[in-house]
Amino acid sequence: MSQATPRKSLFGWLDQRYGLAPLVEFAKHKEVPVGAHSMFWYYLGGTTLFFFALQIASGVLLLMYYQPGEATSYESIRYITTHVPFGWLVRSIHCWSAHLMIISLVVHMFSTLMLKAYRPPRELTWVSGFFLFSLALGFGFSGYLLPWNELSFFATAVGTDSMKAVPGVGDWMMQVLRGGPEVTINTLYRFFALHVVVLPLAAFSFIGLHLLFVQRQGMAKPMGHVAPTRGMRFFPNFALRDALIWLCCLIVVATVAVYLPYGPGIPGMDWELGKKANPLAPAYPGIKPEWYFLWIYQLLKEFPPHLLGLEGPQAAILVVAVLLGVWALVPWLDRQARRELPSPAFGDLGMAALLFIAYLTLKAWDIGGKGSPGVLPDPQLVSQACAGIAVGLAVVALIVRRLFYRQNRFFLFSGAATLIAVLNGWAGLTWLVAACTSALALLAALVLRWLWLRRTEAQGAVP
Amino acid sequence: MENRLALRTTRRSFLDLLLGAAALGWLGSLLYPVLRYLKPMAAAGPGGPVKLAQEELAKLEKERFVILRAGTSRILVLQDGTQQIRALSAKCTHEGCTVQFVPGESVIWCACHNGRFDLDGKVLAGPPPRPLPRYVVQRAKDGSVTVSPEKA
Repeated sequence: MSQATPRKSLFGWLDQRYGLAPLVEFAKHKEVPVGAHSMFWYYLGGTTLFFFALQIASGVLLLMYYQPGEATSYESIRYITTHVPFGWLVRSIHCWSAHLMIISLVVHMFSTLMLKAYRPPRELTWVSGFFLFSLALGFGFSGYLLPWNELSFFATAVGTDSMKAVPGVGDWMMQVLRGGPEVTINTLYRFFALHVVVLPLAAFSFIGLHLLFVQRQGMAKPMGHVAPTRGMRFFPNFALRDALIWLCCLIVVATVAVYLPYGPGIPGMDWELGKKANPLAPAYPGIKPEWYFLWIYQLLKEFPPHLLGLEGPQAAILVVAVLLGVWALVPWLDRQARRELPSPAFGDLGMAALLFIAYLTLKAWDIGGKGSPGVLPDPQLVSQACAGIAVGLAVVALIVRRLFYRQNRFFLFSGAATLIAVLNGWAGLTWLVAACTSALALLAALVLRWLWLRRTEAQGAVP
Repeated sequence: MENRLALRTTRRSFLDLLLGAAALGWLGSLLYPVLRYLKPMAAAGPGGPVKLAQEELAKLEKERFVILRAGTSRILVLQDGTQQIRALSAKCTHEGCTVQFVPGESVIWCACHNGRFDLDGKVLAGPPPRPLPRYVVQRAKDGSVTVSPEKA
């Protein structure tokens, strides 16, 4: 009994064994910058994580009844929604939370872009976030097939078929993903394994890495030129705000899940079970993928059968791959932000990405087409209406950016994205010609701007 | 020349090389079975000619087209305006959706990305890059319809 008297509390007991004091010290000093911009943007990573946690919880509950198989996949989902007490609610929450997670993730990503939080030393946080974004899309795509209904069958047929665009190994990848040359129940088995084991493990690793980066480096401060910053203590001030917002998220999910159990009824955002998949039934009119894939779906429609020696779909997938690659490399492309200088061009690039995707998505929704049953909407009318909305969005964005973010004086990228809508919707060019024309105009404008900047620099240097 | 090489290749770097090569080989021996396991087994070949079942014939009569499976392919059998039977691949050459026959317009249509083909499988409009392959199909005197698995 000659030992030093141990501290009485549980914390003391644990601290003695595992040395917790330094961690507590770290937590005490952890701060969140309070800057010129709204704090709102700092909560979006947290809300995305919260929706992911809801996905894990509701997904585990669904697993208790779901049985993958030709004769059971569709039937077990129907059983969950019609017989199991609150089964409809669990499925509804799983679907709603999935869409809200994607929305939260996308807003988080765009706010990171607009605030240039990706600049050194946080490049790898951006890249790990980009991987998490890809994983989220993978979750959506693989989970979509599991009910084995008509919609999921064709979505998977198209999605996996686009794999063949990859040169060399494309066919091998498609076969491995499908478990055969065609989409069959073997595909569902593979997607099931991906959805409930492989992707969650990958997501846990990347979330861990992403959070580790954020803990080590702290949250990004606003750019040096904006304003000096104060700090808010993470514990308890910020953490309690986080908890409050998560509670609000839960209330939102619960409310919409109860009142709209099959989704809001927007094409690409509803999950009515519908008919069981039948590989020998033709694709039905109006079939569409989930809303976050709609722009790729529309690109596939807009590309001609052949382009520059490539097949149309191959060219379309190549364009998507290049755009996503540029997106992943933004921290290295933005050389102004690397030197803590304002880089309005990259804020504008984000705006342009939104407008580019918005126009394609609106077209995919056939907005403005006369929707009489059995008659396909007139693509000309659709393009006109969508161009109107896209230009409206661009004007609103322009005004907001001029009024609230005065340092923004770069509009070439968003201008080019708007030009696509104008040329395609109002001038009657095909989408591809409109896009190429805009790209050339953008290139010319960038060159002119560069020459002009060089001249003014030279003039400034002479006197 | 030989001397310089001998000087650069120390015992340590040589052993490192061996170790690296062994590690690569070991990794390969781990990965190969996994990749081989993942690659689906060769699907059954085209098999013999497919004769339409009674219910498929009824569907052909009623809806003017029916889709059936022959081996691993999906085949669209349709009856055109002149009561002639035609058989084409039902798999759209664009992104692999299942096409359908639209009797009113006398075209084959894919609902996924709005591809249109004529009854010979040629692309009329939309994004499909290649025509639909055709199959040999015959109607016997007793009314039975047989699709042969060879492409026409």
